[in-house]
Amino acid sequence: MRRRQKHFLFGVFDDFEKARDVVSELKVLDLKEKVIDNIELYSPIEHPEVEEILGTFHQPIQRFTFFGAITGAVCAFLLVAAAAQSMFTVQPQGGKPVIPLPMDIVITYEGTIMFGVYSTIVAFLIYSGLPRRLKKYYSQKVSEDQIGIEVQIDPTKSDKARAVLEKCGAVEIREVTQ
Amino acid sequence: MSDYSMKDIEWAKINRDVLASLESPRKEFWIVLSVCIFLVLCGAAAEVYQYNEGLGTALMNKPHFWQLYISNFVFWIGMSHSGTLLSAILLLTHADWRKPIYRFAEAMTLFSILTAAIFPVIHLGRVWDMYWVLPYPNERGIWPNFRSPLLWDAAAITTYATSSILFLYVGMIPDLAICRDNAKGWRKKLYTALSIGWMGRASEWMAFRKTYVLLACFLVPLAVSVHSIVASDFAMSIMPDWHITSFPPYFVAGALYSGCAAIITLFVLLRYVFKFEDYMTTEIMDKTAKLTFAIAMVWNYLNLSEYASIWYSNDMFEKEVLLEKFFGPYHWVVWGMLLCALVAPFAMAFEKVRHNMWAMFWLSLVLQLGMWLERFQIVSPPLASNHEPWTWAVVWPGLIQLTITVASFGWFTMLFLIFCKVFPSVSMYEVKEMVFHRRKASSRTDMEDLDKVKDDMIKAEEGLS
Repeated sequence: MRRRQKHFLFGVFDDFEKARDVVSELKVLDLKEKVIDNIELYSPIEHPEVEEILGTFHQPIQRFTFFGAITGAVCAFLLVAAAAQSMFTVQPQGGKPVIPLPMDIVITYEGTIMFGVYSTIVAFLIYSGLPRRLKKYYSQKVSEDQIGIEVQIDPTKSDKARAVLEKCGAVEIREVTQ
Repeated sequence: MSDYSMKDIEWAKINRDVLASLESPRKEFWIVLSVCIFLVLCGAAAEVYQYNEGLGTALMNKPHFWQLYISNFVFWIGMSHSGTLLSAILLLTHADWRKPIYRFAEAMTLFSILTAAIFPVIHLGRVWDMYWVLPYPNERGIWPNFRSPLLWDAAAITTYATSSILFLYVGMIPDLAICRDNAKGWRKKLYTALSIGWMGRASEWMAFRKTYVLLACFLVPLAVSVHSIVASDFAMSIMPDWHITSFPPYFVAGALYSGCAAIITLFVLLRYVFKFEDYMTTEIMDKTAKLTFAIAMVWNYLNLSEYASIWYSNDMFEKEVLLEKFFGPYHWVVWGMLLCALVAPFAMAFEKVRHNMWAMFWLSLVLQLGMWLERFQIVSPPLASNHEPWTWAVVWPGLIQLTITVASFGWFTMLFLIFCKVFPSVSMYEVKEMVFHRRKASSRTDMEDLDKVKDDMIKAEEGLS
C-alpha cells in the first residue's frame, strides 16, 4: 500500500509573540475548515508558556525515573545479598550476619541512583522523539534567534495556512511534501 | 550592581562569540596545552619506570603504604564535586547566574573524576589486577567484599562518573545542535552525531527540561554520598585521627570548597583565553566568590570542631596524633594548610578582591594549595604515629610520586583545554534564556517606573488644583 504523503509548511518568525499569534490564527482556521493535522513550534530556548498555545504535552518521564530507581535498588540489594550468601558457603563469617544491612544499604543507594538516571535518559529519548534525522525544511536560524512554526496540512488547502503565516509576519516560509 | 546586566546582548552574538572560542583562542592556550602535554609525558615516563622497577621506587616499601597517591585521589575526587553539585543545586534553586559558568564546571567534574580514577590504579602497583574490583566471583567462587569501603568507592565513583557524563551531555544537546548548524568538515559529523537530531521542537524542550531537573535531583544526593564514602575509607578504620564521626560532612565541605576554588581559577582562565568578558562578568564572579567564602566558613567550622572534640575528649591516642600533627615532622604541612585554606579565604570578604579577576585567580590557587595540603595531612601524619609503633615512619614523597602528582595537574588541564576547544564551554541556549528573562524583567521594571511617574504627576496635578 502506498504511504500517504505529508505536506508541511514551515514559517520562520523573528519574535515569539508573532509565533504565538500565528498559532492562534491557525487554530481558528482549523476550527473553521478542519485542514490542519498538526502544529509544532521550534525555538532556540525553552518557552514554558508554549503549553498554553499548543496544549499540554503528556510526558510522564518521572514514572520511568521512579520505577527505574526502584528496580536499581532491588537489583543492587539482590547482588550484594546473593554475593554475601555465596561468600557464606566458602568463607565462614563467624558470628557476623550473613547479610549485613547497614553495609548493603550503601551499594543499594548507588544502584538506585544509577538505574534512576539511566531510566530517566531512556524516557527522555522516548518522549522527545530522539534520535531522529533533521527535517528537510529545518532552518538553522531556529537554533540562533528565530522561532519556527511547522504546520502539517492538507496540501489542497495549504494556501490558506500560507496566507496566515504571511499575515503574521513570517520572515521565511518553506513548503515540503514528503 | 544591576540585576539586569547582560540583558542587551543579542542572541546571534552569543552564538558568534561562543563558536569563535572553538576556532581561535589566544596563543596562551597553545602554550598552556603544550606545557600540559609535556607534564603528562613526564608522568607517563615516571609511571612506566615505577611499573618496571616496582612500588619501592615510589617509597612504598616502608610500612607507610598510603601516601601521596591516596592524597591525590581524595583531592581530585573532592575537586570533582563542585561542578556537578553546584550546577545541580543552582539549577534547582533557579539561580540564573549559574548559566554562563555551569558547563565548564561540569566538564571540570568529569575530568577531575577521570584524573582521580587513575590514582588507585597507580597506587595498586599491580595494574593488571585492577579488574578484581568488578562485581563477579573469582575461580574459587569468592566475590569482592561488599563490606569494604574501598568497594563502595568503586560503586560510588562509577555511578557518579556515568551520571555526571550524562548530566553534562544532556545539558549540552541544544548547544551541540547549534554547533552542528554552523560547523564544517569533521566537526559537522561529530556534532551531527552527538546532537542526535535536536531541532528545538517544543516537545523536545519540555522533555529536556523535565529530564534535566530529574537528573539534578539525583546528582545532589549522589555527590554528597560519593565524598561521604571516600571519607568512610578513613573513618571506618580504627586509626586515631581517622576514626571520626564528622569526617563525611567534613569531606563534603572540603570537596565543595576546593571545587569552588577550581571554578574560580578556570573562570578567570577561560574568560581571558576565550575572550568571554561579556558572559563571565564581575557580577557572576562576585556571587561565586561569596558562595566560596560561605563554604570556606563551613569547612573552617568543621575543621575547628574536629580539633575541639579531640582536645576536649582527652583521648590520649587522638590527642597525641593531633599534637604530633601540629608540632611533629609534618607541622609545616598543617600550618601551611591552615594559612592557605583557613586564613586566606577571609580576603574574599572584601568587595575589591572579589571584583578583581586576577586577585581572585591567585587567591583561588592559594585555596587549592591549602586544600591539597589538607588531603596530605589527613593521609600521612596519622600513619606516622598510630597505634602500632613498628609502623612509625616519617616518609616524604620521592621524585616518582611528585612527578606523577604534577603530571596529574597537567593531565586534568590538558583534557579540560581539549574539551573547551571541541565543545562550547559556555552554554549558549542558557545564556540566551538568561538574557531573555533579564530583558523581560527589565522592561517590567521600566513599566512600573513609568506607572510610578504617572501616579506622581497625577498627585502633583491634584495638589495644584
